[in-house]
Amino acid sequence: MTAPAARPRPARRALDDLSLTVDEEALEALAASSPEWLAADRRDAYARWASLPAESNLLYTPYIDLRGAALQGARLVGPSEVSGSRGPVPTLLDDADALIEVIEGRLAGVALSEAAIDSGVRLRGLTDDLEDVREALVREHALPLTDKFAQLTRAAWSQGVALDVPPGVRLPKPIVIRWALGAPDRALVTRTIVRLGEGAVASIVEELVPSPDPRDDEPAQAYFAGTMEVTVGDGASLQVASLQELPANVVAVQHRTANIGEGSTLQWALAQTGGRLVRSRVENRLVGDRSSVRQVEIVFGAADQLFDLTSYTTHIGRDTTGDLLSKGALLERSRTYMKGLIVIEKSAHGTDSFLGEFGMNLSKDARSVAIPSLEIDQPDCRRAMHSSSVGPVDETQLFYLESRGIPPDEARKFIVLGFLEPVVARVPLASAQDRLRELLEEKWIAGSGDVSRAAA
Amino acid sequence: MTATREIVTDKRDQFAFHDDIAYLRETKRGLTRATVEEISGFKDEPEWMLQFRLRAFEHFLKRPMPAWTDGLDRIDFDKIVYYRKPSEREEKSWDDVPEQIKATFERLGIPEAERKFLAGVGAQYDSEVVYHSVREELSKIGVVFMGTDQALKEYPEIFKKHFGTIVPPEDNKFAALNSAVWSGGSFVYVPKGVEVPLPLQAYFRINGENTGQFERTLIVVEEGAKVHYIEGCTAPIYATDSLHAAVVEVVALPGSKVRYTTIQNWSNDVYNLVTKRAHAYANSTVEWIDANTGSRKTVKFPAIYLRGEGATADIISVAVAGKGQHQDTGAKAIHLAPNTRSRIVSKSVSKDGGRATYRGQLKVAPGATNVVASVRCDALMLDDQSRSDTYPYIDIQEDDTTMTHEATVGKISADQVFYLMSRGLTENEAQNLIVQGFLEVFTKELPMEYAIEFNRLVKMEMEGSLG
Repeated sequence: MTAPAARPRPARRALDDLSLTVDEEALEALAASSPEWLAADRRDAYARWASLPAESNLLYTPYIDLRGAALQGARLVGPSEVSGSRGPVPTLLDDADALIEVIEGRLAGVALSEAAIDSGVRLRGLTDDLEDVREALVREHALPLTDKFAQLTRAAWSQGVALDVPPGVRLPKPIVIRWALGAPDRALVTRTIVRLGEGAVASIVEELVPSPDPRDDEPAQAYFAGTMEVTVGDGASLQVASLQELPANVVAVQHRTANIGEGSTLQWALAQTGGRLVRSRVENRLVGDRSSVRQVEIVFGAADQLFDLTSYTTHIGRDTTGDLLSKGALLERSRTYMKGLIVIEKSAHGTDSFLGEFGMNLSKDARSVAIPSLEIDQPDCRRAMHSSSVGPVDETQLFYLESRGIPPDEARKFIVLGFLEPVVARVPLASAQDRLRELLEEKWIAGSGDVSRAAA
Repeated sequence: MTATREIVTDKRDQFAFHDDIAYLRETKRGLTRATVEEISGFKDEPEWMLQFRLRAFEHFLKRPMPAWTDGLDRIDFDKIVYYRKPSEREEKSWDDVPEQIKATFERLGIPEAERKFLAGVGAQYDSEVVYHSVREELSKIGVVFMGTDQALKEYPEIFKKHFGTIVPPEDNKFAALNSAVWSGGSFVYVPKGVEVPLPLQAYFRINGENTGQFERTLIVVEEGAKVHYIEGCTAPIYATDSLHAAVVEVVALPGSKVRYTTIQNWSNDVYNLVTKRAHAYANSTVEWIDANTGSRKTVKFPAIYLRGEGATADIISVAVAGKGQHQDTGAKAIHLAPNTRSRIVSKSVSKDGGRATYRGQLKVAPGATNVVASVRCDALMLDDQSRSDTYPYIDIQEDDTTMTHEATVGKISADQVFYLMSRGLTENEAQNLIVQGFLEVFTKELPMEYAIEFNRLVKMEMEGSLG
């Protein structure tokens, strides 16, 4: 094993300083190889990236910490490194209707069930037909214009996925989008566009997993930026589950945005377990009347992981519903920042909005921050509230389980995993659900030595 | 509700008045190093205080304007008179107070309050305490209640030991400003084991266009002692904006109990930017009971640092934001020691295009084990021109904290109004009753005569709201 001292110790940095150098020449080359409209979009984004602060929302400036990232060696992955395909081509199992897999930026393959092909579902690389996704890529609310990292993604993306579900199509089985990555010293920047036509019904399972490429014991860090930019047509229904189990050397920046049409529903079930530093932002825009979003997000942190999660929900249409729940269970020195902002605009009569942020610190060194905020311009609402709590493992629950003959360690595990169950239960793919349960349990076992110390 | 309906008539100007006072001493408009030196010179202060002021002044210049709240850039620091002394010396008895100032206080009802059971009166007229009396029995038990300037001269040891330790000048821009030019305010010292039987009160007023009011209050409560301090404010109405930047420091030593009650009703042109903070030592209890109905903009987050094991913090914050007003208020509880408890309750009402913001912080530092904390914020919006925001910050760095937080925002329930009207109340009376009930968590903590006054204020705000 090479001594870690071989890599220079990073210099002291400010909390909002991301140690990633963006190579302007590489960006310009990227723009030059894009169609004119896309080049203009990239240049506009780059100008924003260069001028924006790391956190432009003044509410949240005290709570940003990018010091966990050591990306001094990371280099932007360019178009030549993502072109062509690499194997092995994944096989579509019976439990899904479509599958796309991208390994270290290269497309491994796409597979669709007959039902999916017959109904006109299209799943492909984002660059396969740029003109087709032009409007989706450049529309105003595709990615937040005041978010520095979203603008870097908009400027520098070189790979992506596009999914279209035509109007009226109801897919019974989920579509799997799998990203495998973690090769050191790479900065892979991607976008994913999802469009559901009117009345369509679909579900997506996004898997963020370690790539099969070999890595040494203490690999250098890698940067990954990913998006899911969703348009849910009127009367459509989309369910998205994401399982993030990236290797510990990955700094991940995620942007999920959704435009939700009249009478349509969107469900997010997001599980965060991997990575070194994860900065995630979800932006829900309830544009259509009677539209609704339901979002559950869990974090299971350990070691030095930091999860910096923000969700913005904007109520615009009448009688819209927002139901957001974030939960974090934290082992060892892990931290989570749960920031949420609900905005009820003047037009949004009859809003029902709930935001819950709950933390469970399982170690004395863990830290959880919750900032559940509300900005309300329209009092005519069914409900506008948030709630938050942080607490240890509930002693009465523990007592109850122990009185039923369950040993204390087992009982603790049940309570913690039960705390995170709301997301697990909403993963629409049985195999992925099992995988997530396994992951959480493994992590519990790995980190529970710390917990018994804390409890003692 | 229709948009055209006039929700509330603001009759606050009935209570505003402006007297022409011959100011004996005042500084030139604007703030320079010389102004700071001049103020210190007027007051014949010890050298350490001058150095403290100058250090604060330097920091004030360096510190940028806070960007997280808006509208503060409208304050023109060059137009403000930083010091104004309406009478030459502290008055010992009511009879010595100049007639004109006395007439002003007469309208505020101080003599009447004095006749009642009030423990002491310190009224601030512009920048100096002009009238101050402490009841015989309080002096006998060793309680000190006087103007801060006087205390600096008479109790230099206690003063120097605590002044500026709770809110250092570098805390924020307006604490720095206050530290540089402070004048007036109250000083309270309660010796070990003494329980002050009645609330201590001070009326504060701003008079004079563009007079800055920079009072500085220091309350030191020794071990096992107990005190309740009350301040209420009214101010005359002027066309241009006035600035009020106060600092309140409370030291609650082990086993003591301090309650600090404020009813803030500045006129609608005042910027009210206040830093209020208490340090609560072992087994002490600190309570901030804080209501904000006036001012153009208030930025105030009463804070309690729970420094000793077993300390308790209780903060009730109430805000009413009417036309053109922004109440940016809230609370902070910082747990630094084990077995500490805090409770924050915030209630806000916004109407006629007003904006009420709750901003709060709850922090449990490493080492503060077995903390129990709760935060509750409720907001009532009376019309759709108004705005309500909630920004709570919850930062927990221990594994055995029990923390709960709840917030709701809503309008007056039509069912409740209907029910009350079916019992014979008018729509206006029904709404008024509901708002009063909504704010009761605050009102019930007030001494009776204040509770009546506060309910009257709310009623006045609500009157004609369905005209």
